[in-house]
Amino acid sequence: MRSLRLTGALLAVAAVTGVFTQLLLVNATTAGFVYLITILLIASIGGLLESLVASLAATLCFNYFFFPPVRTFTIADPHNWVALTAFLLTSLIASHLSQRAKSKTREAFHQQQEMERLYSLGRAILLTDLEQPVGPQIAREIARIYGLSAVGIYDWNEDKIHAAGPENLSDLERKLHVAAAQGILFRESQTFSVVIPIRLGQRPIGCMALSGSAPSDSGLQALANLVAIGLERVRAQQASSRAEAARQSEAFKSTLLDALAHEFQTPLTSVRAAASALLSAGVTKPHQQRDLLSVIEQEAERLSDLVTEATNLARIEAGMLQLHRQPQGVRALVKMSLGEIATTLKDRVVNLHVAADLPDLHVDSELARLVLRHLLDNAVKYSPPASPISISAESLGQTVVICVRNEGPGIAEAEQSKVFEKFYRGAEARPQVAGTGMGLAIAQEIVRAHGGDLRVESNPGKGSEFLVCFPTAKKGVRA
Amino acid sequence: MSQGRLLVVDDDPQIRRVMRTTLVAQGYEVAEARNGQEALERLRDAKYDLILLDMNMPELDGLQTCRQVRAVSDMAIIMLTVRNTEKDKVEALEAGADDYVTKPFGVPELLARIRAALRRISWSPAAGPQVLTLDDVEINFGTRRVSVGVKEIRLTPKEFDLLRYLAMHPNTAISHAKLLQAVWGPDYGEEVEYLRVFVNQLRKKIEKNPAKPKYLLTEPWVGYSFNLPPLP
Repeated sequence: MRSLRLTGALLAVAAVTGVFTQLLLVNATTAGFVYLITILLIASIGGLLESLVASLAATLCFNYFFFPPVRTFTIADPHNWVALTAFLLTSLIASHLSQRAKSKTREAFHQQQEMERLYSLGRAILLTDLEQPVGPQIAREIARIYGLSAVGIYDWNEDKIHAAGPENLSDLERKLHVAAAQGILFRESQTFSVVIPIRLGQRPIGCMALSGSAPSDSGLQALANLVAIGLERVRAQQASSRAEAARQSEAFKSTLLDALAHEFQTPLTSVRAAASALLSAGVTKPHQQRDLLSVIEQEAERLSDLVTEATNLARIEAGMLQLHRQPQGVRALVKMSLGEIATTLKDRVVNLHVAADLPDLHVDSELARLVLRHLLDNAVKYSPPASPISISAESLGQTVVICVRNEGPGIAEAEQSKVFEKFYRGAEARPQVAGTGMGLAIAQEIVRAHGGDLRVESNPGKGSEFLVCFPTAKKGVRA
Repeated sequence: MSQGRLLVVDDDPQIRRVMRTTLVAQGYEVAEARNGQEALERLRDAKYDLILLDMNMPELDGLQTCRQVRAVSDMAIIMLTVRNTEKDKVEALEAGADDYVTKPFGVPELLARIRAALRRISWSPAAGPQVLTLDDVEINFGTRRVSVGVKEIRLTPKEFDLLRYLAMHPNTAISHAKLLQAVWGPDYGEEVEYLRVFVNQLRKKIEKNPAKPKYLLTEPWVGYSFNLPPLP
């Protein structure tokens, strides 16, 4: 390639000489300017060597064909020595300047290319999916944007290497660990690979290996800084999320403790106030004394229920809920639950629509009955005493859905999702009905532990249906 | 003879039941409300001497109810709540409550607080001037009215009794305990936060610049004093 360009340069000089000696007879000055222009053209198209060779050839031709005595290399007039020397120097300097301009243009082009790549990489890092591991995403983007055959990023914190690119990292992996530990840069010109430590300020956070045409040193450093920022951004985000989760957990615990304190303090207030009123001898009438004693008894029972439910809830949340599953007939389960809550049901009408041939459930009988008792207890509390309560059940795929229906005031749509929250009491219910607000939360946790579902369907003014869905026992296994 | 008409506002039916039985036995007339909204409706229909107001109620909570009641009435208000921090007490007093009882409470304590809240210091004419004029503030102790410029300012009974006591003992540092016992009764003496809240409320009502009071001065580590400038 080079010899071709040299030949071309010489031919150009020869052409100019031929034209001005055979075709267009011009004076030395004109010929000199044309030679200079030709040399400049050769310098811009070819390179420094070509323009230097052309300069020498042009000088010789200039002397031979245009300076008297012509067709000799002798220079008779001393002024012509000056002219010739000036010509040679001018052409050499012009060649050099042209070459410099060319290399500066090339350098500017490379810098612009590096800036564009860094910008693309910066954008790609900002758009990384934080739900997915970020290291591999960054490595892939670097390989794509820089057209590298292999990229490896060693993340010190995770102690992992994220590789990308069509080729393997091969022995670069070993060099990654060394560079990360020692904080030094490796370059191998034979394999066009480089390993550079990644630092955030002075703190090393990893290392990066690139195989292929790596950027310049400054470009490499800028790339390493960008990768450092990308990795650190993820870490900061994760730390922030963890801190926020911890704060929310503390806030939730605090709210829960407040709610728990309030739930226990309320019946205690009645008990203490009633007891102190009786002891202070201010209440003397028998019916008033009976009233206060009745409050003490009822609230003491309420406290006892609270303790039981709080214990159940704590056990559930601590993962201590152990299910002892066995096949359980639906009708028998419902009847046992009704028997256990007989006192609460008292004079209430309960309509039962549970077929005897429903598939058996695969449940912990004691816990399943607890769920039904909570639903029945709620039905009694939140419906008029004269209204009936209905229990029905139907088979649905691999489950049986048991429905407990009451004809109470119903639950507003906005509240339906909240009724299963711990300590939640409906706005209408709260002033009228004593309760802990834990029953439905406990019931839901038990049902979920069985792999089932508990939900409510209600329209204000038209009662409520609580539907609990339990899994059935496997075929061939009966209670 | 009725000791007074009380309105008990609490969302828990058993607490309302105990308070009704107990307070009726003590000779009070008792009405009930299940929540803040119901309480405001009752107050529109009848007059009460004191309201026992639970702080933690759904929808319109105790603090909001207290502010709304205080905006239109001077009746005594006692807040009932499970929370016992100073921040909660100050919040209740700043909302307009005269006193604060923490659940669970004993009935004797509640009765003492009711008596203190209903207590009105009767001032004999011999006890001091009937009208006190300070720049553009006029305090008429006879009619229990305060005006700033042409505007009449409403003071609650406790605010008025506190102002009167301080004005009756001008240019003298009065200790917290003495002020509390004089205005709230002998069972009080340590509730410094009560004085802080009430004095701040008085400053907002009668001082031109409450942040730099001219009349109601704090005596650090002691109590408060009323600065009565000498006659020109």
